[in-house]
Amino acid sequence: MMSRHHSGAYANGYPRPNTFEISPHRFQPRASTPATRRRRKLLVRVAIAIVVAGLFACFVWPGTASFVSIFSLGLLSSDTDGLLDTVRYYDLSNVQGTARGWEREERILLCVPLRDAEPHLQMMFSHLRNLTYPHHLIDLAFLVSDSKDRTLDVLIERLEDQQADEDPKQPYGEISIIEKDFGQKVNQDVESRHGFAAQASRRKLMAQARNWLLSATLRPYHSWVYWRDVDVETAPFTILEDLMRHNKDIIVPNVWRPLPDWLGGEQPYDLNSWQESETALTLADTLDEDAVIVEGYAEYATWRPHLAYLRDPYGDPDMEMEIDGVGGVSILAKAKVFRSGCHFPAFSFEKHAETEGFGKMAKRMGYSVVGLPHYVIWHLYEPSVDDIKHMEEMEKERVAKEAEEKEKAEKEKKIKEQFSDTNSQWEKDKTEIQNLAKEESKKEAKAGGDAEKPDSKNTKKESSGTKDEAKKAES
Amino acid sequence: MARPMGPVRLRRTNPVTVIIGIVLCTFIIYFLSNTGSSSRPTTSKGRSINSKPVPKSNLAHIRRDVQRFNLNHVTITKDPIANREAVLILTPMARFYQDYWDNLLKLSYPHELITLGFIIPKNKEGNAATTALQAQIAKTQKSSANKFRRVIIERQDFDPPLASQDESERHKMENQKVRRAAMSKARNSLLFTTLGPDTSWVLWLDGDIVETPPTLIQDLASHDKPIIVPNCYQRYKDDAGKPAERAYDFNSWQDSETAQELASKMAPDDLLLEGYEKLPTYRTLMAYMELDDKEQGAEVPLDGVGGTALLVRADVHRDGAMFPPFPFYHLIETEGFAKMAKRLGWQATGLPNYKVYHYNE
Repeated sequence: MMSRHHSGAYANGYPRPNTFEISPHRFQPRASTPATRRRRKLLVRVAIAIVVAGLFACFVWPGTASFVSIFSLGLLSSDTDGLLDTVRYYDLSNVQGTARGWEREERILLCVPLRDAEPHLQMMFSHLRNLTYPHHLIDLAFLVSDSKDRTLDVLIERLEDQQADEDPKQPYGEISIIEKDFGQKVNQDVESRHGFAAQASRRKLMAQARNWLLSATLRPYHSWVYWRDVDVETAPFTILEDLMRHNKDIIVPNVWRPLPDWLGGEQPYDLNSWQESETALTLADTLDEDAVIVEGYAEYATWRPHLAYLRDPYGDPDMEMEIDGVGGVSILAKAKVFRSGCHFPAFSFEKHAETEGFGKMAKRMGYSVVGLPHYVIWHLYEPSVDDIKHMEEMEKERVAKEAEEKEKAEKEKKIKEQFSDTNSQWEKDKTEIQNLAKEESKKEAKAGGDAEKPDSKNTKKESSGTKDEAKKAES
Repeated sequence: MARPMGPVRLRRTNPVTVIIGIVLCTFIIYFLSNTGSSSRPTTSKGRSINSKPVPKSNLAHIRRDVQRFNLNHVTITKDPIANREAVLILTPMARFYQDYWDNLLKLSYPHELITLGFIIPKNKEGNAATTALQAQIAKTQKSSANKFRRVIIERQDFDPPLASQDESERHKMENQKVRRAAMSKARNSLLFTTLGPDTSWVLWLDGDIVETPPTLIQDLASHDKPIIVPNCYQRYKDDAGKPAERAYDFNSWQDSETAQELASKMAPDDLLLEGYEKLPTYRTLMAYMELDDKEQGAEVPLDGVGGTALLVRADVHRDGAMFPPFPFYHLIETEGFAKMAKRLGWQATGLPNYKVYHYNE
């Protein structure tokens, strides 16, 4: 039998002190790292050094730029390369324009032709600030032509403020100001602007200005072009998205203008958006090659259905209407329309010029041209000479009426004052009489009657009566 | 089984595995960068090239300065070099010809004033042309001596109407309207997106023009005409094998009464094309106007122009003169352009004795 308590074993779990056995349970720190592992560590260090050196080399020497872009996941682009600075590649099928451009980061070129527009700039910039379409996707293009006021200075000032705005969402994309004088003889005031005789040549010059602005600023990365007049007074902040959602080649809202109450409160403004009529086509055939049909003048009765007159204030703002002529106050068009050559004819194109000719040409090229009869933006109301005359008369009347009313009020006031005077006088007199009566009765009681007192009372009363009469005569 | 308690020890990696890994990584990186730079230039090079202008959201909060351009100061004169006038050379390209590029490089007009614009259809042939063109551009733009100011390459956003660009197929009359409408759209797209605020002259030069005098721009500009077109010829070997030349472009002409009479009887969407036997117009063609005295500067007024080589004042295009992609007075493309320019008050001029040469297919 074996003894259960032999000396080498550990009966209570602890080794005996004087044993020569090597115990596997005891912790023993290693004397040093094994040679193989040391070698591996060295290798890893060398490899890291090589990789770092390689990356460094990539940054230092050009030509290895493609390696850099792989390691940096394209964050470090090789734009600094001299070659690529002068060469650009664009695929125009990427900039067709879709219904939800803001999600696809489609760029808009916003074109504003300006002439003597200083008084309207503040209003326009308040609109620009409020646009909800991402500002960095909008490139602004202004044409300042033949201006005699400070349009250019104010414009630059305002644009610089806009770009330096604290809100990082305010600054716009590229901003170009084009200066070009066409030597326009036609005045920009309301009368000469809307006179019939001046229309044809005026419209051709406007068309020329629009074409110059567009051709100098349209770039291959624009998906949309938005034309906006400076004198729009009220428009929805979401107008770009609202128009874009329809996904049409060319789309315009309805343009009205507010009027003073005495003129009916509101009025259709832009009569250049219309559907073609048989009458107008027949009329066009009778005119000579350079004639321009303009809408809204008795000289050319076209009997066309106008977008402006079809407005129903409670109608569906998304309702669409096919049109042939286009008004220029607010046009959203796909850039491909302008790229393919459609422009604002500065000559008589099918007897029309400028924006109306643009609509005609777009139709000819097979694009969709649509107006929104119940989606309305409001043009600034500028009173005509007649209106001003009328308003002056009304102002005179108003002033006269006011003066009359004032007079009347004063009269009443005076009368009232006088009445209150007499009342107090009466009160005074009354107390005096009473006092006197008391005294008298006392005197009477003491020494008998004296005839003088009642007389004084009478004279007092008479004097107050004459005073009243004098006052009345005065007024 | 016999593993002691404690943290799991990783298996020792074999150094061979590490080496294989490194080699593989090197290969992957090499091929990634290689395909990126040479074998697929249209996509990857394009990406790196247009990484700047194509806006991305990381550009959202860049504050850009207001740029001012005074177009009153853009001069258009007889002596464009002395006045440092910018020239835009526009080329609608279907195929790339090395001769075209070589000839372009030979132009003596200062290259730092020249912007090149190309528009290429999006089909297989167009891809090949783009690749070849980009290789040449890269070569030229890297050298500092012959470098152009800017080069813009665009791809069409519509399909070319004809699959084939063969000579016979291309000139069939039925195909002309569709083909030239597409051509007009391509020209207009290129023109209106590249015409800058400082451009003075626009030179239209087709991709198959392989020989011009090196002083082409100066010579044409010196006439100080709004629209000026040289005579386009073609060199070939005649039956005897001797080099000869023949007229090529028949779109430059003076109108005739017969043509106007024909036009007046046509429906508004019909075209009156030149150079087809079915419809003789009796117009005076500049191609056959070559004068005997060989006076290079001889000018003739024109009513229709060809677009193989054509110098236009930038004003004319800015006023709106474009290449109508629809029948405009029964004319289309470059011929329609001459008509539209005329409606805007600009007259075209031809140089019957000043020749440029078309590639011989």
